[in-house]
Amino acid sequence: MRVRDNNKENLVKLKAMEMIINNGINGFSMQKLAKACNISVATLYIYYKNKDDLIFKLGIEQGEKMVKASLKGFSPNLPFNEGLKIQWENRTNFTFKNKLSSNFFEAIQHTIYGEEISKNITAMFSPIMKEFVNNAIKNKQLKFVSIESYWCVAFGPLYTLLNFASKGKSIGNRPFKFSKKIMYETLDYVLIALKP
Amino acid sequence: MPYILIFKTNIEHELDLFQLEDLFKNIPSITNWNVDREDVDKVLRVESLNNKVTEIISSIKNLGYLCEELKD
Repeated sequence: MRVRDNNKENLVKLKAMEMIINNGINGFSMQKLAKACNISVATLYIYYKNKDDLIFKLGIEQGEKMVKASLKGFSPNLPFNEGLKIQWENRTNFTFKNKLSSNFFEAIQHTIYGEEISKNITAMFSPIMKEFVNNAIKNKQLKFVSIESYWCVAFGPLYTLLNFASKGKSIGNRPFKFSKKIMYETLDYVLIALKP
Repeated sequence: MPYILIFKTNIEHELDLFQLEDLFKNIPSITNWNVDREDVDKVLRVESLNNKVTEIISSIKNLGYLCEELKD
C-alpha cells in the first residue's frame, strides 16, 4: 500500500513552483519534476493525476492561502478607511512573506491554468469585498463609481508600489525600497480620492 | 483509502482509451483511472479498492499494449 508522505508532498509543491517560475509552464513536466525532487515518477502520480491536475491544485491551494491572509482581521462591516488599510497591509505582508506564491501566480497568470484558478479565487473573495464596498457606499464613506474605477484607485497604487519593490526600481530606474511610510502616504491619497 | 496503482504504458491515442474504458468498467473495484498521454511514460493511474496490479497488467497486455508497474 502506497502512503502519502507530507514532507515529500511539500517538497514537490515547492519544486514545482520554482520550476514553473524559472522555466515557464511549457518547459514543465512530471518527469522533470520527479527528477528535481529526487523521487520516482510513480510517487508523483500518487499525489496527482497529471501535470494539469498538479498545477491546478497548487494554484487553488496557494490562492486559498492568499485569500485567508488577505482577510485576516478584516470584516466587511468595518468602516471603509479602516478596512482598506487592513487590505493594503495584509496584501503587502502576503507579497513579502510569500514571494514564491506571488511569483508563481505571476508565472501562470496568462495561461489557461491562471484563468481557471483566478475564477476560483474570485469566487472565494469577491462576495466579501462586494459586501464591504456596498456597506461603505450605503454609509456614505465611499464614492459611488464603476467597479473598475474603484479597483484601479483603491488597489492600483498599492500594486504599483509592490511592483516597484519587486524590481527594486521606480520611475526612471530610480532605486526603490518599500517602506510602511511610503505605503501609508500613498494610502492617504487613495482615501482622499475615494471620499464622497 | 484506495490503492493507487501506477503503470508505464504505450497508450497514446484517444481511441485506445475506449478499450480501457470497456476493460475497467468490468472491474467494479476500480473507482477511478486516467492516462497521462502527455508524459513520455504514458502513465496509467488507477485507484482501486484492492490491489489489482497483476490483473491490470495482464488485461492491458491482452489488449496489445505495453504495461509495467512503476515502482516508488
